[in-house]
Amino acid sequence: MLAQIVRDPHLRLLYWLPGSQIHVDANGRECESAAVDGPVCTQIIRAGVPLGAVLHGSADARTTTRLSKAAEAAAMAIEIVALRVELRRQLAQVEAARAGVAAAAGAERHRIERDLHDGAQQRLISVGLTLRHAQHCFGSTSREASELLNDAVAQLAVALHELRELTHGVRPAHLDAGLGPALKELGARCPLPIETSAERERLPADVEAAAYFIASEGVTNAVKHARASRVLVNAAHTNGTLTLSVRDDGVGGASPSRGSGLRGLLDRIEGHGGTMHLESPRSRGTLLVAELPCN
Amino acid sequence: MQLMIAEDEVLLREGLARFFEDAGHEVVASHGDAQNLAARVTAHRPDLLVVDVRMPPTFTDEGARAARTVKAEHPEIGVLVLSHHVETQYAIDLVRLGGFGYLLKDRVLDVAEFIDAAQRVAAGGSALDPRVVETLVSPGGCDGHLADLSEREREVLELVAEGLTNAAIGRKLFLSERTVEAHVRHVLMKLDLPQDEDAHRRVLAVLAHLEAIRR
Repeated sequence: MLAQIVRDPHLRLLYWLPGSQIHVDANGRECESAAVDGPVCTQIIRAGVPLGAVLHGSADARTTTRLSKAAEAAAMAIEIVALRVELRRQLAQVEAARAGVAAAAGAERHRIERDLHDGAQQRLISVGLTLRHAQHCFGSTSREASELLNDAVAQLAVALHELRELTHGVRPAHLDAGLGPALKELGARCPLPIETSAERERLPADVEAAAYFIASEGVTNAVKHARASRVLVNAAHTNGTLTLSVRDDGVGGASPSRGSGLRGLLDRIEGHGGTMHLESPRSRGTLLVAELPCN
Repeated sequence: MQLMIAEDEVLLREGLARFFEDAGHEVVASHGDAQNLAARVTAHRPDLLVVDVRMPPTFTDEGARAARTVKAEHPEIGVLVLSHHVETQYAIDLVRLGGFGYLLKDRVLDVAEFIDAAQRVAAGGSALDPRVVETLVSPGGCDGHLADLSEREREVLELVAEGLTNAAIGRKLFLSERTVEAHVRHVLMKLDLPQDEDAHRRVLAVLAHLEAIRR
């Protein structure tokens, strides 16, 4: 509109962001202050407060005056746009920070649990080796001793298995190969007929882990509560978003207000900056869709 | 059998050495890191090198990389890699090279199986931890031709993938070697794989098949 008033098609309107102390265009892109100072720049000021600037071609006084007046009249609109742009920028910064924190926290947690597992695993194995040695030394002289020692080692083997399962619950080893194989393994352990599908493309580790657990929870719900006869799990990645869906043909009626499981799932999804969508009409099955950002 | 051990955790290193000695083997050297492993192997010339995947300084894959270097310089020496977790793809890629074993550390508590695997690898064969084979065979339930196999045939298939010889399979399943041979023939036929006496080539063929249906 300003461009029409002064008949300058190359006119550019810049907004001043008070928080960031820079000029930006309507898309939030920062404009160098050098550019702001030329070719011809008319500042827009209202009640002593800078709102923005107009970059235009002609320097004659009449154009400049016209522009100033028009801009002042539009001051409120300009201010609103400026504030909106500022808000968008700040939200983007917060989002980036959150994603960074989530990824770092995930990696850290993974590292800690690996260390815990490995330390405990080493210790249990060493004890086992000592018991085997004792078996070797005394097993031939006393059958009873040999059996006792054998039992002790068997107990250790169970403990090692449980330790592995525990770590698996935090982050299954199958995820090392990707979401596809991990979902397939989940499917193999599901007592109901189930189909899983995922793309081969690898995604950030924390996103794959989150998707896996969401799928796991969704499948558990289908098995335990839905009285379903079939489950479908799908993971698709488009435009930087992973969409994970779990569908069953059971009794429906699921709701986050109804139980802590779905509530916890919603928290987990939102913690990753994602959104959850649940459709569960009575007697018409349940569809759980989680969208997770992948940056 | 003469072996060399590379394991940074002291108690485990000593426990492993004692374990092999109790079984009648000789530990010619043991080390707490993967430095100059190839040079040390050259000096001692063991039949088998047992090495932990993760070692100092970074505890990522120093041991694994050293294992490959040693194998490249000494193809006749068996290399048994011990891991903390199932790393399926890594394990398959390693075992495919031939003369490698990949076992989870806690497998050591199954004395007979562990010793058998170690001897197999020292002799030039392969060893792949059963849990790795499990991740290949089970996902998704009955994929492709695997559905055509009987329970027994599936058991045999898994043991072939682990690198066991027919005789070892027979001992494990309480079958005669001839029965095992027949089962193996049927399995290879049903999966459309070439009949092959060579243990390593069988392992390769079976692993390739299992990997293909996994995707």
